[in-house]
Amino acid sequence: MKPVLHITWEYPPYVVGSLSMELRNTLVPLAQQVPVNLVVRADSDETAEIDGMKIFKVSQSIKSSPHVLAYAHVLNIDLVRGASRAIYESGGASLVHCHDWISSLAGVYISSNFCLPLVISVYSTELARSRSLSTLLSMGIFDLEKHCLRRADVVVADMSLAESLSKDYGVDPGRIFPRGGDLLKVYNRWAMR
Amino acid sequence: MISWEYPPYIVGGLGRHVFHISKSLVQKDIDVTILTFTDGSSPSQEEVNGVHVVRINPYSLRYPDFISWSHGLNMLMVEAASAIDDFDLIHVHDWLTAYAGIALKHIKRKPLVATIHSTELGRRGSLRNDYERHIHELEWWLTYEAWNVICCSNYMLREVSGNMSCPREKMSVITNGYEGGSMGPPAPLVRKNYAQNGEKLVLYVGRLVYEKGPHILLEAASKLKHLDLKYLIVGDGSMRPYLVDLSKRLGISERVYFLGHVTDSELATFYNWSSAAVFPSLYEPFGIVALEAMGAGIPVVVSATGGLDEIVQDGYNGLKFMPGSSDSLTYQLNRVITDKALSDWLVGNARQSVEKYSWDSAASETEAVYHKVLDQYEKSSWKPAV
Repeated sequence: MKPVLHITWEYPPYVVGSLSMELRNTLVPLAQQVPVNLVVRADSDETAEIDGMKIFKVSQSIKSSPHVLAYAHVLNIDLVRGASRAIYESGGASLVHCHDWISSLAGVYISSNFCLPLVISVYSTELARSRSLSTLLSMGIFDLEKHCLRRADVVVADMSLAESLSKDYGVDPGRIFPRGGDLLKVYNRWAMR
Repeated sequence: MISWEYPPYIVGGLGRHVFHISKSLVQKDIDVTILTFTDGSSPSQEEVNGVHVVRINPYSLRYPDFISWSHGLNMLMVEAASAIDDFDLIHVHDWLTAYAGIALKHIKRKPLVATIHSTELGRRGSLRNDYERHIHELEWWLTYEAWNVICCSNYMLREVSGNMSCPREKMSVITNGYEGGSMGPPAPLVRKNYAQNGEKLVLYVGRLVYEKGPHILLEAASKLKHLDLKYLIVGDGSMRPYLVDLSKRLGISERVYFLGHVTDSELATFYNWSSAAVFPSLYEPFGIVALEAMGAGIPVVVSATGGLDEIVQDGYNGLKFMPGSSDSLTYQLNRVITDKALSDWLVGNARQSVEKYSWDSAASETEAVYHKVLDQYEKSSWKPAV
């Protein structure tokens, strides 16, 4: 199997919230079973082998953003740079797996341009975070989440979010895979060989 | 080629530039596809003068502001690019489509060329908030990622090189072109609705924004009340209410017509009627409208800044005044209006001057940049093979 390409905006030592540590707990054992390339935001563009994975670090090109939505967009250009590098330098990828809305866009671009299956792990949603879409910024984030999720072949999420993902985001319930489940089942079914 | 402006969506000179340069490149057997914006009122795909045009409508999503709108447009452009046939090179115009250009450069591993038409620092004078800094950094990023950066004047080359630390070895100056008769036949308007016999008309064409300096013209107009002059202000922008109020306060509101956006044929009529065209910009990367006025046969009075300073030789093919000085403009406008021999001399020389600005030669120079970049690319190991 060609490497599974994971894309995230945080991974140790860069820790923003709980995603970073949870991801390490998931990916390290996974990398024992399938080849894993990980693209992550860092301080400089470089490649390293850590925890059994090949890590493609990308530096942050833009330092000033007026809000998180603008930040997410420019972050994803950096992540696309790393993801493209990972694909070209590793001879391809079997599947793209993005973590959290903030790094999903890069997966959408890579998936559509390289014809790769797309998996998006959802840890929370804008609706859950803000409870109501009361500002244009919140609506913009919600629309971006929805845009990305509709392009995903599989959405990995806590089943407590399943109803909202289906009702509010238009995700087919059959495409939702429970968070904490065996990701190898997803990869074995969807990965390009 | 990626540009947020392309006819019929025109905001400033960028859209006209992309229209003409793409058309001229096709005439040199270069296959050009343009990714651009539509609000839904134009076809999503069509062929214009041999150019393949793919228009993206970003209104399927909501945006809190213009920055997010531009990012959404770029996001959809990147996705749409997967359906476009293979291409050799990506050419981006300005920061508004830098995002798509940079992303596609890395996804496709194809070289990127950027044309910088103006900069945020030049437009604003300083960077005062995160919106302006974000745009400035996007501009820097575009010049950093581009294999070659094209500027429309030596002034812009110095600005981009200085403000963005862009190495001059990878920069080129290619001026805009001028296409005579491109505005079509004049519209059947009635001159006496604007000026009586014996009254002369002065024309301003440009966006009504601070950096274009329309207020400088109004201040000069208030100092030329002894002349029978009327002023035609073509263009629109955020400064319009202020300018309308300013003309009242200066006691010249009866002399000034704010015409908003006009058609090309209406503009051709205004050129025919006018005794002078004034371009009082405080910041002007090139000044394509000055070329149009010179080609139309009316004397131009321009501020000595940016591209205007390079196009016009004072006293030969136009008159120049100190940027921001209404006294200096008053002096020069008075000269050109009252001295028929001077006016004729400037017009005759200006007609000859504009001949060197052709879209065909701009396309030839652009093609040369493409060849140079592709040659460097071929010699590099940075290729898309998986």
